[in-house]
Amino acid sequence: MIWVSWRRQRPQLITLLAMLVVGAGVVVLLRSSMLDSITSSGLTECVTRTTQECSTNKSAGDFRAEWSTRLQLGQAAIIFLPVLIGLFIGAPLFARELEQGTHVLAFTQSVSRTRWMLSKLVVALVPALVVLIALQYLVWWWLTTAGVMGPRVNGSFQVFNFGIEHVSPVAYTLFAFAVGAFVGVVTRRTLVAMIVTLGAFTVLRFALFDVVTRVMTTQREVVTSGLSPTASRDASLVISQGYLDAAGQPIAPDKVGAAVQACKATWTPEGQQEYVACLAKSDLGRRYADFIPESQAWQAHLVDASIYGALAVLLLVGTGWALRRQS
Amino acid sequence: MNPLTATAVGKRYRSRWAVRDCSFTIPEGKVVALVGPNGAGKSTLLGMAAGIVRPTTGGLSAFGTPTAGRTHPDVSYLGQNRSLYHDLTVRELTRAVGSMNDRWSTDRVHEVLGLLTGVDHDAKVGTLSAGTRTQVAIAMALGRLPRLLLLDEPLSDLDPLARDETLRIIMTEVADRGTTVVMSSHLLTDLREVCDHILLVDEGRVQVDGDIEEVLARHRILVGPAADESSVEGTLVSATRTARQSTLLLREAAPTPKGWEGTEPDLESLVMGYLRASRERRR
Amino acid sequence: MNLRSQPDQALPVIAQGLGKKYRRGWALRETSLVVPRNRIVALVGPNGAGKSTLMGLITGLLRPTTGGLTVFGDRPAGKGLHPAVSYLAQQKPLYQQFTVTETLRLGARTNPTWNQDYAEHLVEQAAVPMGAKVGTLSGGQRTRVALALALGKRPSLLLLDEPLADLDPLARETVLRTLVTEARTQGITVVLSSHVLAELEGVCDHLVLLHNGRVLLAGDVNRLSADGTPLGELALNHMRRAAQEEAA
Repeated sequence: MIWVSWRRQRPQLITLLAMLVVGAGVVVLLRSSMLDSITSSGLTECVTRTTQECSTNKSAGDFRAEWSTRLQLGQAAIIFLPVLIGLFIGAPLFARELEQGTHVLAFTQSVSRTRWMLSKLVVALVPALVVLIALQYLVWWWLTTAGVMGPRVNGSFQVFNFGIEHVSPVAYTLFAFAVGAFVGVVTRRTLVAMIVTLGAFTVLRFALFDVVTRVMTTQREVVTSGLSPTASRDASLVISQGYLDAAGQPIAPDKVGAAVQACKATWTPEGQQEYVACLAKSDLGRRYADFIPESQAWQAHLVDASIYGALAVLLLVGTGWALRRQS
Repeated sequence: MNPLTATAVGKRYRSRWAVRDCSFTIPEGKVVALVGPNGAGKSTLLGMAAGIVRPTTGGLSAFGTPTAGRTHPDVSYLGQNRSLYHDLTVRELTRAVGSMNDRWSTDRVHEVLGLLTGVDHDAKVGTLSAGTRTQVAIAMALGRLPRLLLLDEPLSDLDPLARDETLRIIMTEVADRGTTVVMSSHLLTDLREVCDHILLVDEGRVQVDGDIEEVLARHRILVGPAADESSVEGTLVSATRTARQSTLLLREAAPTPKGWEGTEPDLESLVMGYLRASRERRR
Repeated sequence: MNLRSQPDQALPVIAQGLGKKYRRGWALRETSLVVPRNRIVALVGPNGAGKSTLMGLITGLLRPTTGGLTVFGDRPAGKGLHPAVSYLAQQKPLYQQFTVTETLRLGARTNPTWNQDYAEHLVEQAAVPMGAKVGTLSGGQRTRVALALALGKRPSLLLLDEPLADLDPLARETVLRTLVTEARTQGITVVLSSHVLAELEGVCDHLVLLHNGRVLLAGDVNRLSADGTPLGELALNHMRRAAQEEAA
């Protein structure tokens, strides 16, 4: 049964392999070219540390101008790869068979429908995930070479970094694939399945966007007013921030707004003591920030992956059920 | 155990009943002609017997096991649209179907393909003509070494020579292995050559069910003066009338009255008579 | 229904050394034949013998690789079907969403020689409701509508590619009967390809048997089966013999 699935999906698998070879080649070449560029411009220090000199240096500026877009394209490739896999491998997997009626051949043999479905799924999914992981790693390798002169400076929680790291891309791929397979079985038309998969995936990604942040536990940093919490300035993910009153409770935003308006007159660019004192009089003595530190990003990835993974499992079970009911 | 038994089986698609309250039993070793007008429910019945269509009411059982949801291991099915993998070669297809079956004989498949003219084993299935594809599909069905063979319009895309070959293969299969065959077709003259049992389905119901010789013996075609129809006894199935003459198809007819000519119908006239009757009913 | 006068005295089809080659081989080879007027011609042969190719060449949908072909004295050009020729493809292409009335209107708009009364008469004769959508009709009714569409343009030559496939015995008998009646009263030459010779036996008076792109047998039926052999058996014997010669 595995041989049959492999033989039937041979064209797709060859395309995946070609994509891997071409993608890997491109990334390797670009990375080595970029490395040369870094060493020849003497920017090796700037990769790991952001100093005053690195921000103002002309060659650093040139480097960024030349490489930013390319690095972002690398990110984009890994962002889009999951949905492309769902679209071109997941959606047609069952839709094409049902559309052409070839499922009848398999259904009238001794192999059970579940085994047939699993065989097709495994042969389609495993190579796709392997290619995804390989390309994900290659792009990550390239991005870390640019270090803080590239997109990685925005931290692990920035949307385009988060979506391409750790187990998240695998989870998104599983999810997109499962959506495609399920919609394919239900609609029985390849083109319709592809369009619906694209729509459903996009909608769900937006909808589940900040579920992770709501589920995880946060830490709170408290500073005196006048200073801003370090969490808001580094790569941590800030969930919410504001002012605390004397009892340690967050103050409502409209009260904060009113107090800041009232104290605006006392603010001077040279020093802020008067401004801070004014705020303290309105009980706005301390500021807080609820955040998830960057070192905890891996936890966020696990939560993210479990949500999408659970959805994927549900959809695949649904696919199996729909195939059994198919008549 | 009977190869196929239907118990008040019915299938509804949205508002229309394709098959309604059908009950019949197919005895072992028979070659059954499943006939009836298009849209009568023949394909639906075969699909339900093969386990790829779920009945709405009642059920079918093959060799004692209900057929819903799964093709019985002793049953092979040829659908009207000949489900095959067009991108595989004949050789690869044989391997593929073999790997999907517990009981399989590649030798049998090669034997059947060898009896057919012009099947190139290394040609892609999609490049073969429709008729050859049908013959390849039949070979695949026989590779499963079935005890019951369900064929939906197996002769429809075949030219006369290919039809001849295919009927021969079916007859050999029946003679050598005692396989029970249910085949639907519109080509009554061909059916008459191979079939010994008739199942006539119309408007989703079984109209005639029995051994062909017995069924034909029970019917009579009477030709005579239109004015004199009242003298004829028996159950009228259908009639064609001109100004002066009537041709009647009767069931359980009494002896032929004077002035009338009576003959035993052939399969074609019998089926046509029932089809005419249902067409009249529909008007 | 008055008989329309013949446009010219040229024969419906004259083919000389006609050949058509595709990438995978010759579909038709060195074919020379003549279709006489007012005949009902049975075009028979195994799949891949060249029946559809021949029809395609006559209608002008295909261009010959070798040889030439005239239809009523004219060469089929790429400008569209000869006005005196009607073609009914095997799939009986009709728009499923159109009603029967709209289908006939389509015929009227696309054919200069259209006769609406005649087409409507054919549809009524088939007991097909004019307001029904084509997709809801049975196979036999659809064939009758397609036939009305083909005959409505009052052709002198009617080509039918497997018109009786997928029809039940009763529908086949009715379609065939209509075809024969109309052909004889209107003086139409009919070429129909079919696999079922048994029912063509009382109907066709000219046979063209193709095998592997060549003409095996061609001629009037009463001449070919002068000894009384049924048409079906005659053709089958020839086909068997040709197949055996090929295998040898």
